[in-house]
Amino acid sequence: MTEIAMPLAHSPPGAAAAPAGAAGAAAARLAVRKLDFFYGTHRALKGINLDIPARQVTAIIGPSGCGKSTLLRVFNRIYALHPGLRATGSVLLDGEDILDPHYSMNRLRSRVGMVFQKPVPFPMTIFENVAWGIRHHERLGRADLADRVEQALRRAALWDEVKDTLGKSALALSGGQQQRLCIARSIALRPEVLLLDEPTSALDPIATGRIEQLIEELKSDYTLVMVTHNMQQAARVSDRTAFMYLGELVEVDATETLFTRPGKRQTEDYISGRFG
Amino acid sequence: MAASPYLRRRLANLAALAASAAATAIGLAFLGWILWVTVQRGLGALGPALFTGITAYGAEGGLANAIVGSLMMDVMALLIATPIGVLAGTWLAEYARRSRLGAVVRFLNDILLSAPSIVLGLFVYMIVVLPMSNWTGGRVSFSGVAGAIALALIALPVIVRTTDEMLQLVPGTLREAALSLGIPSWKVTVQVLMRAASSGIVTGVLLALARLAGETAPLLFTAFGNNFMAIDPLDKMASLPVAIYQYTNDPAPALHAIAWAGALLITGFVLLLGLAARGLLARHKVAHD
Amino acid sequence: MSSPIAIATRAIDLRSRADARHDAWFRWLLASCGLLVLAALLGAALATLWGGREVLFGHGFAFLTSAEWNPVSGEYGALAPVYGTLVTSLVALLLAVPVAFGIAMFLTEIAPAWMRAPVASAIELLASIPSIIYGMWGLFVFVPFMARVEPAISATLGRLPLVGGLFQGPPIGLGLLTAGIVLAVMILPFICAVMREVFQAVPVRLRESAYALGATTWEVVWHIVLPYTRGAVVGGIFLGLGRALGETMAVTFVLGNSYAITGSLLMPGTSISSAIANEFNEAVGTHRSALIALGFLLFVVTFVVLLVARLMLRRLARREGA
Repeated sequence: MTEIAMPLAHSPPGAAAAPAGAAGAAAARLAVRKLDFFYGTHRALKGINLDIPARQVTAIIGPSGCGKSTLLRVFNRIYALHPGLRATGSVLLDGEDILDPHYSMNRLRSRVGMVFQKPVPFPMTIFENVAWGIRHHERLGRADLADRVEQALRRAALWDEVKDTLGKSALALSGGQQQRLCIARSIALRPEVLLLDEPTSALDPIATGRIEQLIEELKSDYTLVMVTHNMQQAARVSDRTAFMYLGELVEVDATETLFTRPGKRQTEDYISGRFG
Repeated sequence: MAASPYLRRRLANLAALAASAAATAIGLAFLGWILWVTVQRGLGALGPALFTGITAYGAEGGLANAIVGSLMMDVMALLIATPIGVLAGTWLAEYARRSRLGAVVRFLNDILLSAPSIVLGLFVYMIVVLPMSNWTGGRVSFSGVAGAIALALIALPVIVRTTDEMLQLVPGTLREAALSLGIPSWKVTVQVLMRAASSGIVTGVLLALARLAGETAPLLFTAFGNNFMAIDPLDKMASLPVAIYQYTNDPAPALHAIAWAGALLITGFVLLLGLAARGLLARHKVAHD
Repeated sequence: MSSPIAIATRAIDLRSRADARHDAWFRWLLASCGLLVLAALLGAALATLWGGREVLFGHGFAFLTSAEWNPVSGEYGALAPVYGTLVTSLVALLLAVPVAFGIAMFLTEIAPAWMRAPVASAIELLASIPSIIYGMWGLFVFVPFMARVEPAISATLGRLPLVGGLFQGPPIGLGLLTAGIVLAVMILPFICAVMREVFQAVPVRLRESAYALGATTWEVVWHIVLPYTRGAVVGGIFLGLGRALGETMAVTFVLGNSYAITGSLLMPGTSISSAIANEFNEAVGTHRSALIALGFLLFVVTFVVLLVARLMLRRLARREGA
């Protein structure tokens, strides 16, 4: 199992099949095409087209209610938990439409990880928090599993702090540590894409700094999409930034360009703090 | 005369306040009266013979068979009601939270919670005792199993309700975070959500046990009672409440004393369980804030 | 030949299909446990209906209207136990409701903060005492007490016009009034808990604006709090009524077990549940069927009462949520 799953995670085949129109220099890992999203009859996303390049950090910014979190929640179909929500259009992950009902949810969620606004450690030990997800997807021996957990914790810059307390409850960690544990939990499954939904909004400035640094480091292996309401954070961390407003994607560009020479009036108003 | 309506209002208020305080005093007085009598008369009859002797119609009788029977039936009842109740409560909280059927079940569960226990006893008599008796030609009729099933029906709604409530308190983000790892929802429910709510669920089981411990009416025509030590679950089985009932109905004062000792045992047990449940719930709340 | 990636994808898809299947099984397992709750209620109704069919359908209306209960001559009329059940429950409500109201008012409006939690817990404790203990206390302690008090009751209340007849009788302690009082103590905590909870839920601004107009505590409770929570208070009272109707052990010892319908509360009587508890294990044939029929009757009546109670309580919960 391991040998088979690993190449899948690390050498995605569909990279070449990225659709035309990729705006960035890198190939698009995720391509959003004509995406509409409905809460019942309310249309929350309106014809979104967006390419998310591989191994970069893409930030999505915009005032609250603009649909940025909704968009993120489409990428791993976590919205499907709630009745009455539906998405139309397509989201291509390495060329395959993840909105296709035949696309397996397991496959999608092991390829697209998600970290939430508030750290949500499971009520288990630190070790189990990371091992639990791996164990479901792959059958590993004890030693291999321990290795994988260590790798993930190291990658999330948490190993040194918890290596002696792996058997303790994860609920005893600090907020920042918990959030890094959640990141470790996600990357332990070796996803291709990591979704971050305002990952630092519940953390203090020091913990926030550590997470931002970690995001920088992770982009060498993963494609990251981050929703944030903090424009400085988007400017600090991301390579590309998308600005959304009232359910529409107003503008997407290299972060530096977007923040210094925005192409649209609405973007300029927002980043200069005139509304939002 | 101008002060008169004002004075009248103040007097009415004073009268109401006094009546309200008096009502509280009355409630507390009854509590004190009942507890005092139970402790006083129960302590007087407490002794080692109580735990060694079996039911007897003399002063040397004890409650050993009743204690064993009660423990056995309470445990059996919880073994039946806990899995069913936890699963049903989980269904209400996780899969039927907003569905119409879920609302109906939740509603009827609340009714079952205060349904007359004697009728549940009759129900189990009809569906367990009678068929068993017909089937075995009368060899097995009243039994500890039948008693346990009747008690399980009483424990069930308590466990369903607490499980439902406790799972509804588990934050939705925990569910989303676990599902976003690609883990199927049954595994998320059992290994993450139920674990997060575990101390609350245990509280429900303790509260259910506290109710079972004192239930008499449903046992009268299911487990019946037994003057001898019986540990065969298919035999008639004694229980503390039913033994108390028998002793109380007997004219001999010596037996009344044993009944009071039994009453003290049950009351103490129930109050301890209540305290344990409270403590557990307090800890649960702290862990969730 | 398939590429390793295709194989891996297929493995994940298989796993995913297995997961979906397990999810569906799990869901069914859970739902069937949930439906067991329905089955228990429905089963209790049907089983007692079936067990009592001989008397319910054989005797028809006579079962409900006849006051004759005589196993020897085979006459089974439910009127006396129904009367006893209703009268004791009514007495219990009349006594418990004002006291519960008083306690709830004391705990939400009057008592100093440090006193509230302990007193509330103590009142709740009344609900956790098993009913067999109430029964014993009733028989051994409260009945002798009532026997001493009853002459005084007859001499005072018994002299009143109209209601006087209710309070005349032999001072034996046993009887409908004693049973009603024991029941009142038992259901007091249930009614009080509901009242306290809903009184606390009254918006502070409502209360404060009334106090700001110079209203007294009593006026606030009577004119603001009570009307605001009326539905739930009625629901709580019905909840207590449901408990009182179905209670067995607390009343069996103190009712006196007499199938007579008398106009006096001091006279012994019987109730549905105590008739079942006392006679079931000695009854055979039609007698047993008649007792199960009584059980069916009790179940239907309490079901309706509890249904009303829960509907009233739910309405308030919904208004609060809105």
